[in-house]
Amino acid sequence: MRQSDIVVEDLVKRYGRRVAVRGVSFTIGEGEIIGLLGPNGSGKSTILRILTGYLPASAGSVRIGGIEVAEASLAARKLVGYLAEDAPLYDGMRVGEFLRFMAELKGAFGGAGRRAVRAACERLRLEPVLGMPIGKLSRGYRQRVAIAQALLLEPPILLLDEPTNALDAYQVIGIRELIRSLAGTRIVLVASHVLTEIEKVATRVMILREGALLTADAMAEAAHSSRIRLGIGGPGEAVLGVLREVSGVVRAEIEPGTPARGSDLHRYLVEGATDGLAEKLSNAIIGHGFALAELTEEKPDLESIFLALTRRADPALAA
Amino acid sequence: MRTFLALLKKEELALFTSPIAYVVVALFLIVMGYTFTLSLFLSHINDFVHMFFQIYALFLLTVPIITMRLVAEERRLRTLETLLTAPVTEAAVVLAKFLASMSLLVVMLVLSGAYPLTLTVFGSPDWGPIYSGYIGLLLLGAALVAIGLMTSSLVANQLIAALLSLSLFLLLWIIDHFGWLLPDPFDAFVVNLSLLVHFTPFATGNIFLSDAGYFISLALLGLFLSLRALAWR
Repeated sequence: MRQSDIVVEDLVKRYGRRVAVRGVSFTIGEGEIIGLLGPNGSGKSTILRILTGYLPASAGSVRIGGIEVAEASLAARKLVGYLAEDAPLYDGMRVGEFLRFMAELKGAFGGAGRRAVRAACERLRLEPVLGMPIGKLSRGYRQRVAIAQALLLEPPILLLDEPTNALDAYQVIGIRELIRSLAGTRIVLVASHVLTEIEKVATRVMILREGALLTADAMAEAAHSSRIRLGIGGPGEAVLGVLREVSGVVRAEIEPGTPARGSDLHRYLVEGATDGLAEKLSNAIIGHGFALAELTEEKPDLESIFLALTRRADPALAA
Repeated sequence: MRTFLALLKKEELALFTSPIAYVVVALFLIVMGYTFTLSLFLSHINDFVHMFFQIYALFLLTVPIITMRLVAEERRLRTLETLLTAPVTEAAVVLAKFLASMSLLVVMLVLSGAYPLTLTVFGSPDWGPIYSGYIGLLLLGAALVAIGLMTSSLVANQLIAALLSLSLFLLLWIIDHFGWLLPDPFDAFVVNLSLLVHFTPFATGNIFLSDAGYFISLALLGLFLSLRALAWR
């Protein structure tokens, strides 16, 4: 086991009767930038807090670098740099003072602490605000200070909870570049509900919904599935029935706004497995005597995978 | 140890850069100075027993103000998450907060040392009861701060934490009055929960291990419950 590996098995977290995390399992290896994507309240922050040892798990196990977090939380925390959601910081402290304090908590005193603070400040370009009280910083600087404290002493694992929350476009780009630059030998786990942010930085995307992990690799899911747009003449419901019968089809629907007035040409969107789906569909349509006017195959993006998975998990959404 | 010192320094800075500390110390000195001047120059009382009871009452009123923000504020601002995801133990956090608050009480007691020193100008005070009184106040302070820390750990609202502490202190102050109403053996048990019953011997120059044990037990219980409350997330 490498020092920076994260292994989560059957993780469950309950708050009273409410289940926040339901049997989540995943493994993360060195050098990965993982995006943990899910709507608000899906359990992303709870999982991150359990990884840091801040929250105890109700069941299951979490190992960081081979250390069981529940048994040796202190040792595990030494491997982790954590940015909590909304960057909770001590407003009364000055930036330099806060970073030195955090460096000391992480075991860097005197010269080592000063060097760690200097390195983090250079990386986040915090020199202009080192002497300022945190409470007087802009939202962007505040977020950068919170990231700087997570980066102190270059931990092998970085857990970032909504790192671009409430930042302007330039700041978002800056944070995104920073996250990319942090990869290499460490694990970066970014939790966010902003799909585009995750898509731009992550090498692997995990999708959560209502505490359950829908996929541990949405990109792989995307590679193994396809989206096909079809233009077919004939009665909509009958054609839809035929399309849904084809093996490998996960979802088929009539695109809104069709058919055009005076025409029976409907447009359909079909999602399903990659292997030969287009051919199977065209055979089925022609076989049933419908007129196939158009067939376009496209690779699904993260958004469509996210929607497909969440719809599959929640029939109410699909309806 | 160095990590603990970093925590302690942070707590001391938070306490001594807040106006609350200075307001509390100033009020304490004004009330004490007024009473001392009144008793020495108008009533010509050359002992310190009544001063100790006054400090006792002032501690009961001011400790909730000193301790109310300790954990409640960290909970409200969620800085507890930043603190406790760093490699520090909850025990170190609790102890640092406790000692920082105690240091303010020590400052108040040291400043109040000016009054017994003033007595030496006008006469020869009996130093035994003065020493025992200060030991009693230190022990009382430790117990009150630990209870205040506990209530602050239970809630995220400073005001509620302060009111909760104050209610507990007042209950422990007057609980012996209820004790006398109870049948044996409950009367002795309840009477012995009283802060005043255990503080009075110290103020009058008597040190009993049972009284010291009471305050130390109360302080340890408060610290233990604070630790449990902090771990409960």
